[in-house]
Amino acid sequence: MASQEISKSMYTVTSAPLWHCGKTLQKTMLHTLLALLPAAAMAVYRFGYDAVEVMAWAGLAAVITEAAVQKLMDQAPTSDDFSALVDGLLFAFLLPATAPWWMVIVGAALTIILGRMVFGGYGGSPVCAPAVGWAVLSISWPDFMDLNGMLLNWDLVEPLSELKYFGTAAIADIKPVSLLLGENLGALGASQGLMILIGGLYLLGRGQLRWFIPVSFLVGVFLTALLYNLIDPQLYASPVFHLLSGSTLMAAFFLMPYSSSSPVWRVPMLIYGLLGGALMIIIRTYGVYPDGAPFAVLLLNLCTPLIDLIQPKPFGGR
Amino acid sequence: MMKTSLKTSVELKGTLQDAPVPALVRIPIQKNQKPVVKKKQIVGRGQVVAETKCISAFCTGYVHATIDGMVEDILPNAIVVGPLPAPKEGEDPQMPVRPEPCAELDSLSGEDLCRKLLELGIDTNKFHPSRTLIINGLNPEPGVVVSEQLLKDAQKTLEVGVRILERAVKPGTVKIVVAEGKNITLYGCTTVHASDVYPATIDPLVVLTATGVERPDNVDIISVSDLYRVGRVGETKLPLLDAVVGVGESVYRVLTGTPVQDLLNVAGVPYGADWKIALDGPMRGEAICDLTVGIPENCTAITLVPADQFPEVQPNPCINCGECVLACPARVQPGMLSRYAEFTLFEATRSRHVDACMECGMCTFVCPVNRPVMQFLKLAKQHLAAQDEFTASCRLQS
Repeated sequence: MASQEISKSMYTVTSAPLWHCGKTLQKTMLHTLLALLPAAAMAVYRFGYDAVEVMAWAGLAAVITEAAVQKLMDQAPTSDDFSALVDGLLFAFLLPATAPWWMVIVGAALTIILGRMVFGGYGGSPVCAPAVGWAVLSISWPDFMDLNGMLLNWDLVEPLSELKYFGTAAIADIKPVSLLLGENLGALGASQGLMILIGGLYLLGRGQLRWFIPVSFLVGVFLTALLYNLIDPQLYASPVFHLLSGSTLMAAFFLMPYSSSSPVWRVPMLIYGLLGGALMIIIRTYGVYPDGAPFAVLLLNLCTPLIDLIQPKPFGGR
Repeated sequence: MMKTSLKTSVELKGTLQDAPVPALVRIPIQKNQKPVVKKKQIVGRGQVVAETKCISAFCTGYVHATIDGMVEDILPNAIVVGPLPAPKEGEDPQMPVRPEPCAELDSLSGEDLCRKLLELGIDTNKFHPSRTLIINGLNPEPGVVVSEQLLKDAQKTLEVGVRILERAVKPGTVKIVVAEGKNITLYGCTTVHASDVYPATIDPLVVLTATGVERPDNVDIISVSDLYRVGRVGETKLPLLDAVVGVGESVYRVLTGTPVQDLLNVAGVPYGADWKIALDGPMRGEAICDLTVGIPENCTAITLVPADQFPEVQPNPCINCGECVLACPARVQPGMLSRYAEFTLFEATRSRHVDACMECGMCTFVCPVNRPVMQFLKLAKQHLAAQDEFTASCRLQS
């Protein structure tokens, strides 16, 4: 009479599906932190203790700001998903290594408040949070954000301002390899081209990042720069220079695919990337700022809802 | 142990086994199946215990007692049949009456045959005369191996099933869809190969592979288990009594209504008190709270999920990452729809094609913030259906 001796224990019921792919936000963010590590290490190697200080202030300010605002908003704290830390670090990567500590703190706090919390928290934001922090600081304290002026201690040049103010002749000596290795002045982490590339490829390889946006963004940069270069090679730099200089790679792998502010469908993702790449070259060519990458990202973010309207028909739809 | 690979096709290890006859069965009944027996009544194996009140030939089947015994209880969702009572002294033991084999099954055809199949316990809802018939030979879900096991071990029964269906519904063409790289054929069927990675194994997508059309009108699709049930009735000429259920890597033929506990004991698989236990596969299965539940005839597997193997579903806000959009075979935006449903904007989900959803569960499966995405979509669909029904009844009154 086995069936009458059935124990009275109750089992947990849930609605299907009972399986999960195992991917969590926390894991994604830990992978992203790991992907940022090589660039951070390289930045410390290039810029020394200054880089450590900027990254530490930015990360700390971002996490604390998020916790404080969440307290004010009566939200459950989410510091343990590390998304605030990642945003803080990404923001730090865009700064000059010698940025004053108070500006870093203000910028990181604004990254979190204006880039995330006013929209309800991580994932609700229609703009890329680190780019918002960068944009506010660039406009508020242009002198402290000027890479050339802030990094006078190093006897190097900043390729993009050289191109902007002295033309292609000034950058003729800068080899792609030196751009990749970050042997020029540039933003703290964003100028460590090779390390950013390694981080990005790691994320792609682990399935934490889709190829659509990074690849189409780089293609967009390459094609637009090639077009200008073909029009007049004396006036416009080569596409390879644009691909490797400034924050191009950083934008391709970390800023453009920022999850909440990028499109979700396949074709829109490709269009978004292509347009972003083209816009960045246009800003670099005609704009007043040497590096247009974060502005291109922000402007394209605003177009995301529009681009995302390009949708396939639902299954069985006629 | 269990893995989260979504591949469904497997190298089969065992063969189809018969589970022992249980002492007590809880035969599940549905809302439209009305019990025709009384408490304490002696029933024989194969005797009708619940009927569907419908005159058409295409409806849910009758329900039969699967063991000789006495009706112990009649519940809204099950009929409990226990062992025969011991005969009183001096009296002859009561002999339950078992039905005779239905000989006319060989001579009938068309709707008469469908009606007979219905009376013998076959759900004929899925059949329509002279349509293309597709047999889904892919294992329905990862970890469920029933379809391929039946194609390997029950070819004869399946062949009988195809022959009966040929007479009953006279399909235009019969196709069987099997996994790529598997050399499987079935009597009278054209073999079509398809991807075996879930959700490619669910019916609408299999129809698409077999016909090249999304949601065509003139196609019926049945699973191998459905076909096996028809074949089983055709072979024995007796009412349908058993289900074929996979537990772990073994597949058992069990009497309908056997308590889950009995089958787990036979299979000898490990499980704990804090595990989740579900009827059918891990993607669409229904979790059960106690193990006395009887196995329904259309159950394909018992899925066991260890505690803490997967992150728990939580009502987190959507982060717009778009993972669900890329995983969705229906090409809708599950994340967006789930937010509309969360804030009770059900009409908005209708205009954004929530009806295209196939309830495969991929959106919840891939969600990195563990949102109950498909659960929200189901909620929206249910609300819309209820609303439509209400509107329709109002129109009838006016």
